[in-house]
Amino acid sequence: MSNEGGPVSARAAPVSAVLRRALGQLPNGGPERQAVEAGEIDAVIDYGSARVIAFPAARRALRDAARRTDAARQEAKLDAPVANRVLATLPRAEYQQLLPGLEPVTLKFGEVIHEPGAPIRHVYFPIDCVVCLLATTEGQRAVETGLVGYEGVVGIALALGVAASPVRTQVHVAGTALRLPAARFEVELQRCPQLQRELLRYACVKMAQARQTVACLIAHVFEQRLACWLLMTCDRSKSREVLLTQAYLANILHVRRESVTLASGSLQARKLIRYSRGRIAILSHKGLEAASCSCYSSIEALQHLA
Amino acid sequence: MSRRARTTKARPAGFTTVVVLRLYVAGGAPNSMLAIANLEAICAEHLKDGHKLEVVDVLQNPRRAMAEGVLVTPSLTKLSPQPVAQVVGNLSDKRRVLLALGLKPNVE
Repeated sequence: MSNEGGPVSARAAPVSAVLRRALGQLPNGGPERQAVEAGEIDAVIDYGSARVIAFPAARRALRDAARRTDAARQEAKLDAPVANRVLATLPRAEYQQLLPGLEPVTLKFGEVIHEPGAPIRHVYFPIDCVVCLLATTEGQRAVETGLVGYEGVVGIALALGVAASPVRTQVHVAGTALRLPAARFEVELQRCPQLQRELLRYACVKMAQARQTVACLIAHVFEQRLACWLLMTCDRSKSREVLLTQAYLANILHVRRESVTLASGSLQARKLIRYSRGRIAILSHKGLEAASCSCYSSIEALQHLA
Repeated sequence: MSRRARTTKARPAGFTTVVVLRLYVAGGAPNSMLAIANLEAICAEHLKDGHKLEVVDVLQNPRRAMAEGVLVTPSLTKLSPQPVAQVVGNLSDKRRVLLALGLKPNVE
């Protein structure tokens, strides 16, 4: 210990100006200075700035430890089962490339993700939320034309080279989704051939499902359609219960509210569902399948279109 | 790891006072890790279970360290029994640590 009031030179040189200033605050001849001289100190607390100033060796060690933790976390994230079916089909290398851009977001009920004609800013990969694809008719009335859950992607138009959304997409079962900025998505689409293939396949599935939905709308009675629709919604949200009011259902299925009351009352009387205060619970999946039209199985089968 | 407390109710026979220690460290920095290891070895040998150790990470909690007048890390404070004593450094000097803890180091 040679110092008399001046900055102390630590064993691990060089010492930054900030650290030198913090070291200057240590009492002369005190045990702290001796410990610094002996190289036994990791950090000095700078009372002026209320910061902890680490010595270079300690800083390196902390940085390495943080890097190791990050790498382990990244590895754990990669190994975690992917809850979105489109992402799950990607080879590990492609998914790894995509992962840093994916941001988990919580989508609230009723949130409009894309408006028709507006540019698509993010592509969403739902995990446990369900998004409704709505075609707008006169005024603000919008009719359901498709559902997207963990099996699909919201903003598929971007994969087909269309930058603006052709439909209104609205969250109707709240939950989590992973989203990717549109610019990043376009880059990744060029880089990942499997992602491109999977999205084109999904776009084809969606078109076929939309055709089936139109046929269902024309050919089947509302009670069957409601049963089919409830099954599809619950399947996509991986739950046996959805929170939807009769008014909301009447609106998106484009029927009168009384029709919803009658149809849900009939399904409830057959002990297939329980409906109370906007909460619909499926009591018998099999029974509801039998009560729905054949479109449920057709639409679900289309998902495996290869 | 921001802080860690270890305490035991059962005390060894003849040991009446629990030594309360607080060790300030800077995350997983080398001297801090060494200080934890050295202190744990000393406690295991000399204090058995009659002690209470709290490890405070100053990177997570700089204000607390400042409130308690800590200047550098690693830094060990004996809070109880009185008098309060402090040792700075990686605690590799066992003799100095034992003196601060109020224990007589064995003559080697």
